[in-house]
Amino acid sequence: MDSKVQFIKESAPHIRRKDSLNRMMMDVVIGLLPVVIFAFIAAPLAALRNLLVSIATMELAEFIFVLIMNRIPYDGKKYTFKDHWKNAISKYRLSNVTVPLVSAIIYALIMPSYMEAGYEYLMYVALIVGAVFGLAIGKLVFGGTGNNIFNPAAVGMVFAKACFGSHYVYFQPFVSDGGQIVSAGATSLGSDFVDIASKSFLTDNYSLMDLLLGRIPGLMGEICKVAIIVGFIYMFIRHTIDWRISASYVGTFFIMMLIAGLIVHGADNSISPFYFATYHLLSGGVLFAAVYMATDPVTSPITRPGRVLYGVILAVCTTFIRLFGSLPEGVVYSILIGNMLTSVIDYPKWSSNKFSWKNILWPVGVFVFFTLILVWSLCVEVL
Amino acid sequence: MIKKTTHINDPLKLLEILPTVQAPIPEYLYLATSNARCPKAEIFIKEGDYVKCGQQIGIRHAAFFDQPIHSSCSGVFEGYEKHYHRSGKQIDFLKIHNDFKDVWDESVHTRTDEEIAKMTKAEMTEIIKQTASVGLGGSSFPSYIKMQTDRPIKTILINGIECEPYINADKRTMMEDAPKLLEGILFLMQAFNCHDARICVKAIHTEIFVYYNYLLSQDKYKGITMSPMKNYYPQGWEIAMIKQATGIDVPSGHLPSEFGIMNFNSSSVVGIQQAIRENKPVTDRRVTVTGNGINKPANFEVRIGTPVRYLIEQCGGYKNPNMPKVFILGGPMMGASESDEDCICTKTVTSIIVLDHVEHKEEACIRCGSCVLSCPVGLQPVTIMNAMKHTPVDKAKIKMLNPLKCIECGLCTYSCTSKIHVTDYIRRAKTIARLK
Repeated sequence: MDSKVQFIKESAPHIRRKDSLNRMMMDVVIGLLPVVIFAFIAAPLAALRNLLVSIATMELAEFIFVLIMNRIPYDGKKYTFKDHWKNAISKYRLSNVTVPLVSAIIYALIMPSYMEAGYEYLMYVALIVGAVFGLAIGKLVFGGTGNNIFNPAAVGMVFAKACFGSHYVYFQPFVSDGGQIVSAGATSLGSDFVDIASKSFLTDNYSLMDLLLGRIPGLMGEICKVAIIVGFIYMFIRHTIDWRISASYVGTFFIMMLIAGLIVHGADNSISPFYFATYHLLSGGVLFAAVYMATDPVTSPITRPGRVLYGVILAVCTTFIRLFGSLPEGVVYSILIGNMLTSVIDYPKWSSNKFSWKNILWPVGVFVFFTLILVWSLCVEVL
Repeated sequence: MIKKTTHINDPLKLLEILPTVQAPIPEYLYLATSNARCPKAEIFIKEGDYVKCGQQIGIRHAAFFDQPIHSSCSGVFEGYEKHYHRSGKQIDFLKIHNDFKDVWDESVHTRTDEEIAKMTKAEMTEIIKQTASVGLGGSSFPSYIKMQTDRPIKTILINGIECEPYINADKRTMMEDAPKLLEGILFLMQAFNCHDARICVKAIHTEIFVYYNYLLSQDKYKGITMSPMKNYYPQGWEIAMIKQATGIDVPSGHLPSEFGIMNFNSSSVVGIQQAIRENKPVTDRRVTVTGNGINKPANFEVRIGTPVRYLIEQCGGYKNPNMPKVFILGGPMMGASESDEDCICTKTVTSIIVLDHVEHKEEACIRCGSCVLSCPVGLQPVTIMNAMKHTPVDKAKIKMLNPLKCIECGLCTYSCTSKIHVTDYIRRAKTIARLK
């Protein structure tokens, strides 16, 4: 008997699931591929620029972060810069590449494609500033992967929009002259999209088919809903995302918009509420956010009822910002608000993974309460 | 992956339908003087004494019960030797030189049906106590303490689930010792005066169901039924099993007998049958030797006291001996890993698993929630882990998170996307929560 066999003592369990963080992140990247491909078809140059600039910036920011965080701690001895460098490089892992890659791709897809004429160079500035801000303030200051409160892509996008938003231009692919630039600040959800007072509804321009296939102006990641649905199916099969968040977000949003449509257009029957709700669902970034951004595991709750509640909160915020806010797009803001509430939802005193009456009451209560406010405020405005 | 782990695949599934091989009995057998539950022992024999198979040669003392030690072969007692016990400690073992004659002790005698039919529960309990029947599923909890309960028992559950992968001892016992098992159940039903016994087996084991349905159609086994279980891990945990078999949810901290339920491991029932029918202590048990570090995995029936090294030799030794290995006594999810192969098969060793060691690189937790989804007792392992990472540890918060409910099934670590050893943090949290 060979007695040289080396036995290693470890605590149970001794086997692990075939699964890894990097594989999960690459699954998100694969899930994003349909959207990326669509972006390349719709606006090849803009897509290439957005992706390259944001990936390079975010990877670099993460790399510098790893260098800074893994300095050799002070222990009386003197170390040269080379020692520090070597120590830091040895801590640099594959996950330091894959995790920012996902953030960067999402960020690139929700940034606009062009700036208005004369300000083209600002696009690069906006991309870099947003990416650095998003990764640094959105993630790295909290301690890197896993500790962040906010979705880095959403933080970066909001910051860039706050700084450079007045120069944004949205483009509409697949029209006669291919990628025609439409007026500044207008997506399919113009700010006067649903002018409740005058009951006008700008649906003449785009059919639901246009919305599905992406023949609308908007951000290049968000406009093609078919690509997003394909990505969702892939990630759902691979268990990369929790479908509860997406389902409760989309479902609640649809129901609330249905109610809103019933009140706004119920009296004159000009538009069916189902059409109204579907139009809202397929325009803007609701689907993109529900699939790729809200489901970011780091910034969403960990329990099943908590995830349902999170989706409901996002839907409520989105509905209110869309219907009453001055912004055409409420999705990113609602995600940031939801991120803030995550730690409250997860507070161990009341969070539980089992569905109980209390747990179900919370999402239902939030939904009913805000639906009542929605009905009340719409009635005040319409009647 | 954000996914609930439901069951764990067994890479060597074929082994569970292979018959048990009678392992050759080695020249020297070793009997433990103490074990995890009984720290002290009193030995009745001296060096050079001749012992018979099944003879009581000593007694182990524990806080509230005693456990006799029986010889598992006949031969000469040759003193003490230090070996590793399953718990990882080095303890004294009684070394017995086997004479390969298997002379049985006088106390071993077959009882007739009439004798047994007249027995009361107290008498049976006494026999079980004297023959040291313990839980053979791995707990080594003395069966007689379970039997001593005065509460009325409505249902007897026989645990044949064996939810951990790689282990086949109970499955093979159920297939190969079916008459003994059923007779043991009848004895238990007689003792508790209960008319409902259910054998809980995973529904995927069709062969056991077909076989037992045929056997149970006989009149004498009236009252015994089969209870199909889902293919979950940890379905063999008694509370999960009781929940699925009877629908009763036993809260943690309560005994199943408070709800009129008594559960036994299927191998233990065979041991009880032997004790009552033949007054014979458990001298053999089934052990699975398997894992990707073993050349020829096999199910063995071994004498208690066989050195593990001897069994591994029977299996053709280690595969790739140059690679570091993990040596596990028990299942891969909950079993203890040993630093040395110099172990002895005791009554609680259900399997010997040798796996190639895989280094898992820990990544940052991304709060995917797989551990929360998988936890069978509804804890939030990731929250406990984060609470433990804080210095100083907030004891009130740890207590609020209730880590003492944890059954250490290992699912949180198994399903962790970032390969974090969550179970370790929870074990530490448990020690903190136990502090006053």
